[in-house]
Amino acid sequence: MGTATLDGKAIALDDAYRHAAKILNAAAFPLIAGLGADIAGARAAILLAERLKGAFDHLASREMLADLDVKRSFGMFTTTANEARIRSDCVVLIGPGLTQAWPGMLERLALDRTPCRGAQAEQPRKVIWVGPEGEEARAVPGAKIIPASAHELCGVLAAWRARLGGRPVAFDAEKVSRIDGFVETLRSARFGVFVWSASTLDPLAIEMMQGLVIDLNATTRFTGVHIGARSGASGVTQAAGWMTGFPPRTGFGRGYPEHDPWRFEASRLVDSGEADAALWISAFDGEKPSWSRADIPLVTLAPAQAAPSRGLFIEVGQPGVTHDAVLMSQETGGMTLRKASAPTDAPSVAQAIDSIMAEVSEGAWR
Amino acid sequence: MALTVLRGGHIVDPATGQNAIGDVWFENGRIVERPDGRSADEEIDVSGHIVMAGAIDIHSHIAGGNVNTARLLLPELHRAIRARLAGTPLSTAKWSSYEIGRLYAQMGFTTVVEPAMAPHHALQTHLEFNDVPIIDKGALTVLGNDDFLLGMLRDGEKDSAINDYVALTVENTRSLGLKCINPGGVEAFKDNMRAFGLDDVVPFYGLTSRQIFQALQKATQAVGVAHPLHLHMNNLGLAGNIDTALATIDAAQGLPLHLAHVQFYAYGKEGKNGFSSAGALFAEKINANPNVSVDVGQVMFSDTVTISSDVLKQFNSLPGAIPKKGAIFDGDANGGGIVPYVYKISSYYNAVQWAAGLELFLLIENPEQVFFTTDHPNGGPFTTYPELFALLMSADLRAQYLSRLPADVLEHTTLPSISREYTLYEIAQMSRSGAAKLFGFVDRGRLGAGAVADIAVYKPGRDVAGMFRRAAYVFKDGNLIVRDGEVSHYTRGKTLHIRPRYDRQITGRLDSYYDDLYGLPRSIFDVPDAALPHKDAFAEVPCRI
Repeated sequence: MGTATLDGKAIALDDAYRHAAKILNAAAFPLIAGLGADIAGARAAILLAERLKGAFDHLASREMLADLDVKRSFGMFTTTANEARIRSDCVVLIGPGLTQAWPGMLERLALDRTPCRGAQAEQPRKVIWVGPEGEEARAVPGAKIIPASAHELCGVLAAWRARLGGRPVAFDAEKVSRIDGFVETLRSARFGVFVWSASTLDPLAIEMMQGLVIDLNATTRFTGVHIGARSGASGVTQAAGWMTGFPPRTGFGRGYPEHDPWRFEASRLVDSGEADAALWISAFDGEKPSWSRADIPLVTLAPAQAAPSRGLFIEVGQPGVTHDAVLMSQETGGMTLRKASAPTDAPSVAQAIDSIMAEVSEGAWR
Repeated sequence: MALTVLRGGHIVDPATGQNAIGDVWFENGRIVERPDGRSADEEIDVSGHIVMAGAIDIHSHIAGGNVNTARLLLPELHRAIRARLAGTPLSTAKWSSYEIGRLYAQMGFTTVVEPAMAPHHALQTHLEFNDVPIIDKGALTVLGNDDFLLGMLRDGEKDSAINDYVALTVENTRSLGLKCINPGGVEAFKDNMRAFGLDDVVPFYGLTSRQIFQALQKATQAVGVAHPLHLHMNNLGLAGNIDTALATIDAAQGLPLHLAHVQFYAYGKEGKNGFSSAGALFAEKINANPNVSVDVGQVMFSDTVTISSDVLKQFNSLPGAIPKKGAIFDGDANGGGIVPYVYKISSYYNAVQWAAGLELFLLIENPEQVFFTTDHPNGGPFTTYPELFALLMSADLRAQYLSRLPADVLEHTTLPSISREYTLYEIAQMSRSGAAKLFGFVDRGRLGAGAVADIAVYKPGRDVAGMFRRAAYVFKDGNLIVRDGEVSHYTRGKTLHIRPRYDRQITGRLDSYYDDLYGLPRSIFDVPDAALPHKDAFAEVPCRI
């Protein structure tokens, strides 16, 4: 069994669930935020938000929405890590910190091997890394490095796109020739792949890269592998999608889901006072809320080591570590069941929320 | 559960041949014979109503990663507008899995098949199924652009190895059978081919589409899957693709074959636009080939989105997207393409598509050989079925529509000359008895004793579409779920699947294949019971052998 505390003092678990329900029931517009959870936890949280006529957001929504906003305003080409591994003859890594965002990336993409499917099978694989961080690109022997700060990434992609389209760029001849060399590498690839993480790329750079993908597909095949945001953001977004039609930053104040990335942003809701109680869920690593107000009635679901000194805290286990959990897998781009690596009897997010939900009536619904 | 009788309705049940006033008895979730010496615990007077088995939709994209991408791609397409009723969470969240269950139930549909589940993304499809309330679900597993199969065919492996692989994949992904989508064409697109016909060769594997689908067609039969191979042919949507369709039927060699959304292949090249309906010619061919069944993929004029694992076709459709955006996913095998679209009655092309679909419905003689899909949402959403039924049942209604089409369309379709009107009995053959036969279901699509008590009761009136849109009563497993067109509460339906037999030696070979090629354990793609929120999510359907 897990533990629970109220303002740092231990309380019985049953009392904690009852108290959590009381806090959320009493609110005019409760917020369910953080949402660092597995699929079962996300389902339970979204159903609770719906019953409470509150709103839900994820702690990495900014990154998740950077990708999604490009997709839903412009469009997007993607592939799986598997296809990149077996088929790509040209891999362009964009931005710093990719190996931090996805520690298994280099092993999974097997960049040191040759592709083994398609006409390019057994041909050497070309790797370009634009704007890596410090020494991280060293892990890929033979990679061509293009130094660029985070602010310059979009400009590099824009210059490539311009030259691919035969348009002039305002650089000296030597630099233009270098750019043209890279563009020729892209153009002559048979199955090229960009790899990026929205944690270090802004939406304009992502859109520029996807624009380049569309232009390259006029004559060859090019696509992308995106690295999902932290704390289960990709899986939670999928569950929110099938359950409500929308990603996180969705509210149920009118009795049906409305999605608005500004209106239902967790920190804004709390700091403006629009939300008058919050359930914060961060089961992977206990990340803290980013809002600044400290006076909102708060219920926290997190691992034991992340117990806050203020508000109501209910310990939950870590998905895939202390209990089996369905998660979106970066290796496959699909959902998979992760078996617990170090099982404990701490409740999962879904179990904790179900216990709270049992104390929340459907009273408000006709 | 109480012994219940629906008294005095007009029973329309082709599976048992009933088409007359009578009573339907059920108890403990099953239809029963009228019991001797017992009276009903509950009696519902349905006189003046039509009583049918719950309907079965054989091809509707209701779940899975591609469907969810479409939801996230198009928030503007599905804004919710009204609050839900008590006891039905998220039932008015438009296009949510919850709303799908509610809307199907309200129309009297109790079983729906999602026809395109990618083996490497099967778990998400099943998780979404879990959140579709009330109705029973099932899926078809997509093969035919997967490296393992194409490699086996290239290497000339024995049929038995292919059969084992097919059976294992169906079992592991927990589906009802096999779908094949542009066989080899999606793989060829990864090698930069932009068009792919029946006898084009897939680079790297040296196989034609014909060879791939014939192999899968044979394997489906050999392992005892009741549903014939469900084929999405090459050249979808292209002018003149009737040639592909006719050649594909010839290539079926008399073996069972199901052709998906055939409306999208019923195109000639006549007229100044080089685009005409070949529906009549296609229907004639289908009538002459009883081994072939089809679903139509009727176009209904609406704002919608096309969702397909035919990535080559979807890539080619991108320039015509409305609004101008789309998602193209090169998956481990098929992947998917999501392209929004608007079918307009004022568009010559869309009007020809609409007419071609109706010609197929009306000129195919056997209602158990043709099924009523819109290929939801590709030709239009499943919520347009009631209007579609009304069009099939009324030549007058069709004439009203025809008067609104661009005039030159009428020169390139035989639709104005067709006077046939479907009867309720024929509607029930298409949506109940025939659909059940197509999947080998013996416990549904019928009102005979022993069948599940999935029952739809409709109140006839002048508004035929309205009658089908809002059933008067719907019972799911004997529970009254819908009254006067409103769902009162949720129940949990099952996910139907089969378990064909095979030689388990193939598993070791596949494990090594995943280790060597992907460096991943094959089990990462499994659909274990423990991954789903409810333990009793599945119900097994027996295989043919």
